[in-house]
This record gives sequence, structure tokens and C-alpha cells, in this order.
Amino acid sequence: MRTSLNEIKEIDDHVLKQAAPDEALLFEAQLIINPELKYQVLWHKQTLSLVQQYGRNNLRAEIEAVHQKLFSQPEHEGFRQKIMRLFRKR
Amino acid sequence: MTHEIVFDKPAAQREKLITELYKSAFPTVAKYVSKMGGSFDDAKDIFQDALVIYYEKAVGGDLSLQSSEKAYLLGITKHLWFKKFRDGNNNLPLDNCIEGFDITDEADEQPSTNKLMHYLETAGKKCMELLSAFYYHKLPMKEVAGLFGYAGERSATVQKYKCIEKVRETVKEQSLAYEDFIE
Repeated sequence: MRTSLNEIKEIDDHVLKQAAPDEALLFEAQLIINPELKYQVLWHKQTLSLVQQYGRNNLRAEIEAVHQKLFSQPEHEGFRQKIMRLFRKR
Repeated sequence: MTHEIVFDKPAAQREKLITELYKSAFPTVAKYVSKMGGSFDDAKDIFQDALVIYYEKAVGGDLSLQSSEKAYLLGITKHLWFKKFRDGNNNLPLDNCIEGFDITDEADEQPSTNKLMHYLETAGKKCMELLSAFYYHKLPMKEVAGLFGYAGERSATVQKYKCIEKVRETVKEQSLAYEDFIE
């Protein structure tokens, strides 16, 4: 792998706490020596956070699609009625 | 019984899982919400949040196997309902609810997150799909390779880091632009 990709791997391992103990120690040392690395870690975390948000948004869309199916398709009529009965005006 | 989440056709498997969970747990959840005076939409919103939490715990391997998924979902529902009641709103209940992914908040605070997300959804879609398959859905790299048409785990892994590099570059640009803006 390219040097820059290896560096990303090291940052990724650090952020996900997957680095081996000796590598983790080395990385901590590099963080002190190289201030630029701190920013790399920050951007990496923001990147993973966006990925998390992206995945969650898509999952929500998938859940909503299932909901729409269950509450519109004729074969789920029984299920739908069972639920709707719970919310009749009291 | 807790569902084993199978990854061979991930999207189809998720749809199946979500449908099953809806059928098995939503009636109980809806009954609870109704009893507490909530509406159908309340039940729907809360149940969907609970499903997201359940899913993230399940793929993260954080579920205790002691309780059934139905009991688990009802438990989360009660928690979310209580929280909604106490806070008097339902603004993103997930943010404070899910632990174990403590890096979630940071990008949220950036005012440009939505713009950035929109950009990534269009220009960087393939990378975002690959990255979310690995980091969010936690699919094994071997499956990710197959799913995205890479020869093997190794080339998929290289691609993963290339994608991080690409997305990170965008994040960095935005972040620097924002710093210029506040200074």
C-alpha cells in the first residue's frame, strides 16, 4: 500500500482502538511529536462519523419502506387491522 | 431467540429482518404506546428508533442473548417513551441513547454537515456505500469484497482506505473553509 494509505490504516486502528499494544504506544508518541497528526485523527473521526450517519440514514429509509409495505399491501391487512384497532378513538 | 444477521445478500436480509421484527414486536409496542396515550405516529416513530438501536447493537455484537428481541425492543420503546415524555420533545432521541460510538457527535456540530452529506451522497456514493457496509453494517471485509466486486479482501481493504482518504479530503476542505468563516 502507498505510504499515505498505511498512515490512514494506522489512524484507523488508533481510532477504533484496534492497534497492537506496541503500535498503539508508537502512535501515541507520534501524536506528541507531530501536531499535524492530531488533525488527521480529527478528520478521520469526522469521516467515520459521517459514514455512521450515512449508514443510519439508509437504514431508516429501509425501515420506512418496510413500514409502508406492511401498511399498504393487501396481504398484510390482518396485521394492519390489529394495529389500527389499538388506536381507535377512545 | 435473537436473530442471527446473515450477510450474503445484505439489503434483502435486512428487509427480511425488519419485516419479521415489525410483525413480532410492533403489536406489543403499539399496545404499550396506545395504553400510555400515544398516537399511531408516536408508536411508529418510537418503534423505528428502537429498530435502529436494536440493529446497531446487534451488528456491533452488543446484544445480550438473555432476552428475546421482542422484549428488547419493548424495553427500548419504554425507555424512549419515558425520555420523550420527560423531555417534552422527540428531537433525535438516538443521539443520547446509543453509547459505544462516541465519535457520532462531532460532525453533527458542524453547521455544514447536511451540505457535506448531500455532496457525499451524490459525488461519493460508491465510497460511502463501501465504507458504511464495513463501518456501519459491520460486514466482514470478505463479504464487502464480494458485494462490491473486488478480487479479494486485500484489494477491498486498499479501496476502503482510498475511500477514507477521499472522503476525509472533503471533510478537511469543509473544516478549513469553516475555520476561515468563523475567524
